[in-house]
Formats: sequence, structure tokens, C-alpha cells
Amino acid sequence: MVRSNKEQELLLGTLDMLVLQTLVMGPAHGHTIAHVIEHTSDDVLQIEQGSLYPALHRLEDRGWVSSYWGASENNRKARFYRLTAAGRKQLHLQTNRWQSMVDAIGRVLANAGKVAD
Amino acid sequence: MSLRKFFHRRQWDEERRRELEAHFAHEIDDNCARGMSPQEARRQAYIRFGNPTAVREEIWEMNSMVSLEDLGRDLRFAFRQLRHSPGFAIIAILTLALGIGINTAIFSMVNGLMFSSLHIQNENRVLEIAMRPGDLPWQPNLSLPEANAVRDQASNVFSQVVGDQYGLDGLSMQGTRPDRVFTDYVTPGYFQALGIAPMMGRLLRPDEGVNPGADPVIVLSYAYWKRHFASDPNIVGRQVSIDGHPLTVVGVAPREFRGTNTALTVQAWLPIAMIVPLENVPLETYNSPTNHNTRVYARLQSSAMQPAVNTALTLVSRRLAAQFPKDAKDFRFRTFPLYAGRNAGFDANNSIGRAATLFLGLAGLVLLLACVNVANLLLVRATVREREMVIRSALGARRFRLIRQMLTESLLLALVGGAAGVGLGIWGTSLLSSVNLQTDMPLSFDFSFDWHVLAFSAAVAALAGGVVGIVPAWRLARANLNLILREGGRGIAGGGHKLRDSLVIVQVASALMLLIVASLFTHSLAQSEHTELGFNPNNVISLMMDPGEIGYTDPQARDFYQTLLPRMRAMPGVASATIGQSVPMGLVSNSGDSVTISGYTPPPGEHAPVLSYNLITSDYFPTLGIPIVEGRAINDADTESHLYVAVVSQSFAQKYWPHQDPIGRLITLNNDDPSHPMQVVGVAKDARYQGFSGPFAPYLYVPFLQHYKLNSLETLEVRTLGDPAAMAPEIERAIHSITPGLPVFDVKTLHQALYTPNGLLLFQIVAGLAGVMGTLGLVLAVVGVYGVLSYVVSQKTSEIGVRMALGAQRGDILRMIYKQGLWIVGIGLAVGLGASFGVAHLLGSMIVVSATDPITYISVPALLAVIALLACYIPARRAMRTEPSEALRTQ
Repeated sequence: MVRSNKEQELLLGTLDMLVLQTLVMGPAHGHTIAHVIEHTSDDVLQIEQGSLYPALHRLEDRGWVSSYWGASENNRKARFYRLTAAGRKQLHLQTNRWQSMVDAIGRVLANAGKVAD
Repeated sequence: MSLRKFFHRRQWDEERRRELEAHFAHEIDDNCARGMSPQEARRQAYIRFGNPTAVREEIWEMNSMVSLEDLGRDLRFAFRQLRHSPGFAIIAILTLALGIGINTAIFSMVNGLMFSSLHIQNENRVLEIAMRPGDLPWQPNLSLPEANAVRDQASNVFSQVVGDQYGLDGLSMQGTRPDRVFTDYVTPGYFQALGIAPMMGRLLRPDEGVNPGADPVIVLSYAYWKRHFASDPNIVGRQVSIDGHPLTVVGVAPREFRGTNTALTVQAWLPIAMIVPLENVPLETYNSPTNHNTRVYARLQSSAMQPAVNTALTLVSRRLAAQFPKDAKDFRFRTFPLYAGRNAGFDANNSIGRAATLFLGLAGLVLLLACVNVANLLLVRATVREREMVIRSALGARRFRLIRQMLTESLLLALVGGAAGVGLGIWGTSLLSSVNLQTDMPLSFDFSFDWHVLAFSAAVAALAGGVVGIVPAWRLARANLNLILREGGRGIAGGGHKLRDSLVIVQVASALMLLIVASLFTHSLAQSEHTELGFNPNNVISLMMDPGEIGYTDPQARDFYQTLLPRMRAMPGVASATIGQSVPMGLVSNSGDSVTISGYTPPPGEHAPVLSYNLITSDYFPTLGIPIVEGRAINDADTESHLYVAVVSQSFAQKYWPHQDPIGRLITLNNDDPSHPMQVVGVAKDARYQGFSGPFAPYLYVPFLQHYKLNSLETLEVRTLGDPAAMAPEIERAIHSITPGLPVFDVKTLHQALYTPNGLLLFQIVAGLAGVMGTLGLVLAVVGVYGVLSYVVSQKTSEIGVRMALGAQRGDILRMIYKQGLWIVGIGLAVGLGASFGVAHLLGSMIVVSATDPITYISVPALLAVIALLACYIPARRAMRTEPSEALRTQ
């Protein structure tokens, strides 16, 4: 029930990036964001939808997204989130960092593979 | 988190609620579109989402000043919890109050003697200067030339250097009887250097005190002005006289300023050079580099650093050595903080410092015991509250919150206990402050409460709360709550043997240490009280006086004493009367001098011995009840015009003239009277003048008439046939019929003198304190051990039932319980004994009995063991009587 802090932090960081990435396509409300993340990852990333909202709150708090009430595609009231300039910059930063880490891990694993051969 | 959001949390939360609602609506729409029934759609939505309340709470907390707000809530909850179990709360608070109270009391004493403020401006920039001749200990008194040298030659590091000399003088107003005052003769600029402002009138000016006799002015202390002059608003400008010399009162010092010593209260300040006419100090003595009589204080320049200070003082001592090659060779100077030398000298090993450390340590042990007891109570309570914890956890409370809640509860306990403890501590110290010191000296035994004490008590209370709370919190943190839920609440209680056992071991060990120290002190007191004094303290009354205080000249003073003695001896009810300078256990005037002894050569590298001596008249030995074992006593024929003589103590004769006849040998007082070698005419039995233990110090008696100097305090001692105290008024009347205005003070029986601060009083206080702490320790330990063992037994009720049902005898059960109890108590005793040995050796000269006193080390652990066994026995008996069926039912 209680996740360790470290695990949470790592997840949060990743979740933040995913949310920001989703918003590049345009403003969206929480439900859409959750589904977009799940679908674009071919359902590999199953997030607990509840955890999305604290993340959104945090992103807004930091000024990376802004929010407004609007009407959704099936005409319900919903809170929409929009990427801000600061958020765009942050996304860029985070994606770069993530990419370089993935590359590094990839190289290590590739080398390990060679040695194993 | 922004403040705006903090204040709009409710609105914000409402918005979140709507947002989450929208989310669910969308999700349910989607699910329905996939063909689920509305009910299933809703269920799936919740499964995918998680707990919406927890999400809202998380966001709420992100907007909160979490700690502050939760603290308030936790406190309210803790308060309710404690109110629901008042018995537990009262016991816990009382226990903590005792522990914190004793710490407060001890610390406020230490604070009063060592750290309390002197109410000097920027106190931490003022240092005391000490002097060290050769390899002797650092001493606080400098001569005036030395003080002046520091003032003039170290001005690069000290902005001001001032000094003072204490005096005892007779102060009178026109037509009134003189009152004896404790005076302070201060060097020019004293009040300016310390930054003291007058309460009324003015203080002494920087130009006053330069020329002997030039400034007949006096400043009164606030307390003396209030008491002796009834707060007279027109005091400034009034004439008073000191020792018969007229002076003008120029002002009153502020209320809080009592001088530079925390234990002595100055009653009046005078310019230092006035000491020459007032106390008949010869000019050459006043200016002598060997007259070490002035305490010196220096205010640091704002930029001065310690190395520069040391360099400056080294230079001063070199110049002084060049200036006075005979008297100031090998002298060194250094600074000490103002509190360092207070009441005990600068020795790092000084007795007050050591006693302070020891007693704070003992008080700490009592607190530890109290904490362990309360921690135990909390542990038991934690067991009872397991289910509550499990349920709260199942409802979503995070473990961190549960732990914080428990810590809050124990901190609340400690806070209330601390407040009660501070009250107890203040009460205890006020008791001590009111102890009758049996002396007229303005000794201040005032342990008032200041912010030092408050801060200390608060810190102790917080520490106690932390220690007490951490134990159950730690267990909770490690417990597997799910397991508890499944196993019906045995999880926390079950595996706790080790922790509880070690708590009992700590209790037994610290109680043993407290009791051993208390016992060593009590034995020392008893032994001192029954020590062979060498004199007979019964039926003797002593009165102190100095005719110099009313302006008598030397011949006048001698005449006075010569008239007084026959008058006393003729009084009905008087057996004998005598004058002596030193009284046994006296606070002042114990003369000592370096003594040359014929036929005795000090070992190479050692100086002539420094010995104490007493000036006495005829009838001294019968009055005090000291037998003469050889030769004769001192009598009225031993005057200045006759041969100078002396009587030595037995130890003196044995030490310096072993197996030889002491009669007829010569002794010289090297400083006080080098021109008159004295012939030994008698040997007196040893008597104790200072201290109640150890071997007798060599001592000698010289005739009063051959050595009397004006302005010294003398003591009239009268042996009475009846109650000596009842004779006091009559004796005082007789004195005043000869000299109407003479202040007579420190009137007390010799028996009372035994219980002054220099006699047994401090011993009594110390033994009493140690006894109180020992008793507290014992009570706390017994309660603790009993509590734990009875709890353990109650936990084992079902096990006992099963065993008995299977045929175990009651004896077996008893043995099982005893085995466990004995094992723990035994370890505790062993640990405590080891620690006590270590502590006892730190007591040093504070105790009279040996630090390894066998009686103590056998009887105290035995006593503790018996009590612990009793504490085991009661729960054991209860366990034995358990009916097997009943025991099984409690499962």
C-alpha cells in the first residue's frame, strides 16, 4: 500500500514527462491524457489513473501547464490542461536526459551481449 | 505550495472533486460504450482509478502547511487519548515530572553558582585575570602593581582593566550602632568598565580611588539601601561612617548588580585607595608587589583575539619580573572566563565543577529511569492500542502518520510533565535557598530561575519526550501490521522480549548506581559526624568582632580585649573564656604562613611548609576542651615584652621532630613575623579546624598578645555551664558595656559551627540530594521492574494454563518465572556494579569513606536484589494461582 519514496520519485518523474509529451499535441483533460498515454504505448504503460491528478496539480504548481474549464468531446464539463512555454522547455530537457540515459543503457547492454557471445 | 492555495484549499478541493467526477463520468461513458452494464462500468472505473479520496487528500496535503496543521490535529487527538486513560496519564506525567524536576533543581543550583548572569554589560567580553607563581595553581588574586601593569601595558587588547578587594567593615550613621557590612574596594573606573548605571545618585568616578584617603565616598547596594536605610529617597548626600571615618553616600547601585561573585553579595562599594585609612593598611603593604589581594577584570577590545591577549600578558609578566626580580620571578598571567573561577578557583578539577558534573549526571540517571518507566507504560499501551493502529492503517493512514501520532502523544506527556517538573524543581530549589547557613556573611544561596534554567528544562523535557516516544514508535515502525490483523493482535506484543528485558536491565543498573553513590555520601556524612574532633563542641558559644570596625587604634583594641576577658570570666554561668583568631570550621581568618622549623630541612626542591596557625589568649585549651599533652599552654605572661613562644599540635611534633623532644625547639613565621623566632613550650592534642576526614594537619598556636594586628577579626569563645545559646544576649550586653558601638556577629555555638558551609552543611546538602535521588531511583526501578514482570506474566497466562493442565507443579511455574526475572535483574546488577565502580572513583575527596567501601558494595546490591525478587514474586504468585481452565479461556 505504501510505496517507498524512491520508487515513487522515479515514477513521478517519468509520469511528468509523459503528461507533458501528451500535451504537445494540444490541450487535453485528465481522462484523455490517461488514455492517450495508455494507447500510444500500446497499453504497455498501465498507469493508475488516480496518480495522474496529483501529477497534474504539481505540474501546474510549477508553471509547466495551465488549466481551464471547458467542454469535452462528449459535451461534459472537464478541466483542460495546456502546455506552457516553460513546460515545453522542461519537456525538451527531460526528453534529452531520458534519451541519453536510454542510449547509455543500450550501449552497456549491447556490450554485455557481445561479451556473452 | 503557495499561500494563496493554502487559504483557498477548500475551494480548490471542491474543484478537484468536480474534476475527478468528470473523469469518472468519461470513464464510465467509455466503459458503457464498450458494452458493460452501468454497474460494471462504474466498478471498472474505480478499479482503474484507485482511491479518489486518497488522491484528493494527496493534493490537499500538497496545498497544506502539512507539519503545522497535522501537529495541531495530532495534539488534539493525543490530548483526547490521554483524557480517556487518566490513570496512565497521571502516572506517566508524575514520573516524568519527578525526572525533569530533579534535573531542573540541580541545574538551577549549578546555574546559580556558576553560570548565572552578573548583570554586567556585554558580560562575555569581560574576562578575569589570574596569576600563577611558579608551578602553583592559578590563583585569582593579583597585587596592585601587577593589576596596574596589566592595565597600562596591555591596553592594545583590553579597553579597560579594573580590580577589587573585599573587606568587612562597620558602617554607622550618626548616633546609631555600627552595622557590619561586606564591602568591595574598587579600582578607578570599575563601574564604567563593567557598564553599570546607578539606580540613584552616581557610582564611583574614574578619578576616585587614585590617592589614598582622598575620596571619602561610598555607594550602597540596592538591597542594603532598602533594608538598612528603609529605601530612603534622600540617601544621596547623607553622611555615614565606615570604621569610624566619615564618608558621603553618593549613590545606590542598580538592584540586580551584586558584585562579581555569584555567591557573595556586596553591600557597599568604596574607592580602593580608601582601604588605606579605613582598614589601616600601611602604604607599603598597599603598594607591595607581594600583597596579592586584588581580583582583576579586563574588558576585551572589540578586535582582540586570544593569541594577542596571551602575548600581551606574557610581555607584562616579563616586565614585572625585570621590575621586581625578587618578588615577581616566574609569575605568569592568563585570562579566564568570568564564571571559571567562581566560588572554587581556577583549577579545572575544582570541587564545585566536579560536584556539578556528578550531580547533573545522577539527575540524568533519574531522568533515564523515569523515561524507561514511561516508555514501558507506553509499550504496554501500544499493545492495547494495536487494533486501533491496524484499523487506522487499513483505513489508509500512512505508517509515518501513525508514528508521528505516537511521538506527539509522548511529547505532550513530556511537555505537561516538564511543566510540572519545573514547578517541582523551583519548589526544591526554594527549599535549598532557605537553608540556614548559620553565618552572618552575606552569602547568597539564591538559585533563582532564569532563562538558562528554562532553556535547560525545556531541552530536558523534549529529550525525555523523544526518548520515551521513540521506543514504541520504533516498534510500530518495524511491526508487520498485516500480520497483526491476521493473527488477532499479537504482532507487536509478541516478539518484544529483548527490548523489554534491556529496559529492565537499564533500570536496575541505573538504580544501583544511584543507590551506591547515595550510600557512599550518607556513610561519609555519618562517619564525619562521628569523627574524633579533638575539641569539645558542647557548651561553647563564639562571637566575632573587630574593634577596627569602629575606628579603634591598635593599643585601644588590645586594651579592649584585655578588659573583656576578665569581665567574661567573672560572669556567672561562665566556665572559661578566651580569644582566638580561628574557629573550627570558620569561614574567615584562618591564618597560614610559610614556617621555618629548626632541625627540619625540607626535601630538596621543596619550600618551607605552609602551615595554619591560630592566635590565642590564655584559657584557650580548656575552653575548647583540647588537652595539653606535654609542656604548658599559652598564658597571660606571654606578652610582647617576653620570650616569643608557641604550642604545636601532636601531628606537628611527630611530623617534624619524630622521636625527639619538641620542647625548646624554635619555629619562625617567615612572612608574618620573621624577626621573632618562637620557642616551643607545649604540645596540644590534635584538633580538626577544617574538614572532617583524613589525617590531622600539623597546626600551631601562638600568643594573641605577641601577634595581634589591628583590623583582624577575632573570636570570643566562652564555655558555659548551662545552655550556651541562652547566654549570648548577656555576653553581647557585656561587650557593649565596654564598647557601645562594636558590631558583634556570627554569634553561634560551636555545635552550630559544625554545620556551617565550611563544616558539615555542604556534606549534608550533598548527602541529602544524593539520598533523594537514590530513593527516587529505587522507587522508579521497583515500579518499573514490577510493571514489566507482571506484564510478562499476564502475557503468559495461557502458557501457564497449558503447562499446568499438562501437569506442571506450581513450583515449576514459579521457577520458570523466577528464572527469567533473576536473569534480567542479575545482568542489571552486574552492569550497575561495574558502572558504579567507575563513578565512585570520580567522587574523590567529596566522600570520606573509600570509593570501594565494601559495606556499600555488598549491602546495596543485596537490597536491590531482594526488592527485585519481591517484585518478581507477586506476579509469580498470581500466575501460580491461575486456574488452568481460566487461563485457557483468556486466549
